[in-house]
Amino acid sequence: MEFSGFPYLTAILLSCIIGLLVILFVPAENQRAVKRVSAVFSGLALVFSVVVFILYDTSRGGLQFIERAAWVPSMGIQYFNAVDGFNLPMVLLTGIVFFTGVLTMWELETRVKEFYAFYFLLVTGVFGLFMSLDLFFIFIWYDVSLFPMYPLISIWGSTRKEYGAMKLTLYLLAGSALILPAIIFLHVKAGGTTYDITALMRSGTFSAADQKFIFLLLYLGFGILAAVWPFHTWSPVGHVAAPTAVSMVHAGVLMKIGAFGVLRVGIFLCPEGWKFWAPLMATVAVIGIVYGALVALSQTDLKFVVGYSSVSHMGVVGLGLATLTVDGLNGAVFQMFAHGIMTALFFSAIGYIYDRTHTKMIPELGGLSRIMPVASGYFILAALTAIGVPCLASFWGELMVFIAAFKVYPVGGAFAVGGLVLSALFMLRVVQRTFYGPRNEKFAHLSDVSFGRGIPRMILAAVIVLFGLLPSILFEVIDTASVAFIRGLP
Amino acid sequence: MTAWTLFAPELTLFGAAMLFLALSFTRRPNSRREFLAALGTTALAIIVSLASLKAEGVLFGQSYQVDLFSQVIKVLLALGIFLVVCICGDLNGVADRHHPEFYLLLFTCTLAMMLLSSAVHLLSIYVALELSSYSLYVLVSLRRTREQAVAAALKFYIVGIVSSAVMLFGLALLYGATGAVYLKELLRALPAAAGQPLVLFGLLLTLGGFFFKLAVFPFHVWAPDTYESAAHQVTAYLATASKIGAIAILVRMASVSGGSPYLIHVLVTLSIISMTVGNLASIVQKDLKRLFAYSSIAQAGYVLIGILSMSAEGFAASIFYTLALLVMKFTCFLVLVVVASDGANIDVAQLAGLHRRSPLLAMALMMAVFSLAGIPPTIGFTGKFLIFNAAIKQGMLPLVLIAMANVVISLYYYLLVVRAAYLLEPEDELPKLQLPPALKLLTGALVAVMVVAGIYPRLILEISSSAAAALVK
Repeated sequence: MEFSGFPYLTAILLSCIIGLLVILFVPAENQRAVKRVSAVFSGLALVFSVVVFILYDTSRGGLQFIERAAWVPSMGIQYFNAVDGFNLPMVLLTGIVFFTGVLTMWELETRVKEFYAFYFLLVTGVFGLFMSLDLFFIFIWYDVSLFPMYPLISIWGSTRKEYGAMKLTLYLLAGSALILPAIIFLHVKAGGTTYDITALMRSGTFSAADQKFIFLLLYLGFGILAAVWPFHTWSPVGHVAAPTAVSMVHAGVLMKIGAFGVLRVGIFLCPEGWKFWAPLMATVAVIGIVYGALVALSQTDLKFVVGYSSVSHMGVVGLGLATLTVDGLNGAVFQMFAHGIMTALFFSAIGYIYDRTHTKMIPELGGLSRIMPVASGYFILAALTAIGVPCLASFWGELMVFIAAFKVYPVGGAFAVGGLVLSALFMLRVVQRTFYGPRNEKFAHLSDVSFGRGIPRMILAAVIVLFGLLPSILFEVIDTASVAFIRGLP
Repeated sequence: MTAWTLFAPELTLFGAAMLFLALSFTRRPNSRREFLAALGTTALAIIVSLASLKAEGVLFGQSYQVDLFSQVIKVLLALGIFLVVCICGDLNGVADRHHPEFYLLLFTCTLAMMLLSSAVHLLSIYVALELSSYSLYVLVSLRRTREQAVAAALKFYIVGIVSSAVMLFGLALLYGATGAVYLKELLRALPAAAGQPLVLFGLLLTLGGFFFKLAVFPFHVWAPDTYESAAHQVTAYLATASKIGAIAILVRMASVSGGSPYLIHVLVTLSIISMTVGNLASIVQKDLKRLFAYSSIAQAGYVLIGILSMSAEGFAASIFYTLALLVMKFTCFLVLVVVASDGANIDVAQLAGLHRRSPLLAMALMMAVFSLAGIPPTIGFTGKFLIFNAAIKQGMLPLVLIAMANVVISLYYYLLVVRAAYLLEPEDELPKLQLPPALKLLTGALVAVMVVAGIYPRLILEISSSAAAALVK
């Protein structure tokens, strides 16, 4: 057993689990209490993740906040949590999206208790996955973060919700069906004594042929969750069907799990496979960037626009991971963080508009900026971030990825930048049609976001601006991991 | 003196069976009294089998082996019959005057399974298997709505006797080829003789008798009709406790078979077909019990993967998975019995509104079907994980990939069950379901076991590993 100081990471998990248990024992009629409990415990998780982020010593780097205990010794399974430069931003991201998601759903009235119970379960899985360094637990958390999506979407969703929920669940669990055999295979090949990633990482553990094969399984398995083209079709459908907070977590955090899984499990354990398949990853990523942008261009549903733009943006992450360089990894992780916050803001803003107008079809809206200027402002800010306007968070991630990509894959990089131009086109088109132009008089009486309701969106907007202006806070952290990792490669 | 203590769990069940035999002679049956008596005796059976967990020895002239493996199975069996009796409080699928016989047959069947787990002589294996089968044939026909149940029982019976004839033939071939009647002698003779077609054929036919009990393809045809037509409690017993005995004897036979590659090939094929047939057929089922019948055919396929790994780890995984099956299947049937309180069958769609009628049951059902589908953090996942681990250690990655594809297929119909319980609304407003506090506690305990053993399997895993080690030493 090994704990270095106060177990902050376990505290984050416990905030979710205890929160879940408390919610289960609050009477279902008392909705206010359920919401308050949720806010308190998700707030607690956010506070712990911010504390971890601040206390992380960038001058030392490496794994910190290590919490390790034997779990099933005969199988070599450990409870092993720690943070390094790669997962620290993800833990912070999850904390922010979790808390703001709870606040965004404050107006929920149907089956409140169940909603928050499933929501907490989902986020427990996400937190666990990001901080765990044991393959067995990574898989457990992976599925824990997926299966609550089915009830969450099918009960509280909209627009073809049952279809969307079923499609999403089956796709993602098909991904996990590739991951589980891969994980066990790695464990067995390494002697069958451990699932510890840090131990399995030592070079020479796996032969090059095994690495190529297993990396492909892991890339496909996790890639489905990262909405890698052509396995992305569940994602826009799922986004559109999901209720606001679930869209936020889904696009903001869940898709990052996919990319993070490729990095943490695939790339960490099978670097030879990574090198071998990198050109394929890059090609697929570039197709995703361009394809997502092109499809988004012709959508009329706000959520579909954001859904397809997510496919495009996750392509940027994939491209960064495929460059095999420090800059590429830095950019990819930064982009994961920035995209998470940005889409959370997108869906949060759309959620408000949808709650008031009961439509998310672009042609039916129009001129919204004169009816609800503040709500529109949040969406427009997110749209500007998506375009990659400097001084907003996403810009730095995309910049780093494209610099790295141009060096390694000049042609692919050029296409990717073309995709970015397209994304500017569709975002501006959506903004113009939805928020400017003649306003729809049907909605003229609707009220704007009040201060209280606006808090979650303010937090998200503030984070976007903060990391847009001071990207070095995040890059310093990511750098500690990526430089060491690339240097340690054989 | 020691011989009697070695035989204590079986004697307890035998005593209970005699008690109910006597009760069945009384003029005025009293359901409540019989239920409480059964509950008491099964609880006693659990205690006795736990107390004799560490017992070891040989009885009846080398034909009956008491070791950790058999004792663990006996604890599981006692637990299984106890759980089934727990949901017999409202036994209105069976006519009141038949209640004592119902319990009597439950006890004789469980007793036979216990004998089966310890039997190491070919004939005693056969006799134990038949005792359990005959008890079940009658149990199935006991349902209040007679015609359908009798038809199903007849089908069950015919498939049953055919498979036992096949098994007898297999036993004869084995004996002819090796001259062995004790498993210990077989263990010595088989590795050398395993290449002979005669021996291989004999072994396969013998296993056919056990495949019938476990409902492995091609001996699965009885399962859907029998599950559908038997009383809920009987189906629950068929789906949970009766599988334990079948898995136990299969594991024991596999441990002496010497792991011939031909045998493994056949088992791999049967496992793949069972999983695929079971899962694909489940997709189109409307009746909840038929759905569980086909899903248990698929589950039998997963269990076979553990067994055909032919390693101590694989056997341990199978034992672990047996417990998992017991808990998760039983939870499903508990929900079924409460929802279908009039003893009639229900469709999946009739679970509609369960989340409002009883949030606890809806949650339990969701956890149970996710566990059956193998989604963490549940005991069903951990069981599959252990099984796949053992298989990959034997280099069977392709088989595991096929099994995982099946897991995804099965998820579809399991999700439909969740959808019915959580999403569908009934046409007419149905009253809330009132559970007695004891059942509430039991449901909570089952959910807790599913989650805790799923995320922290250490204790159960250690027991199953030692049990498997006792088998292969």
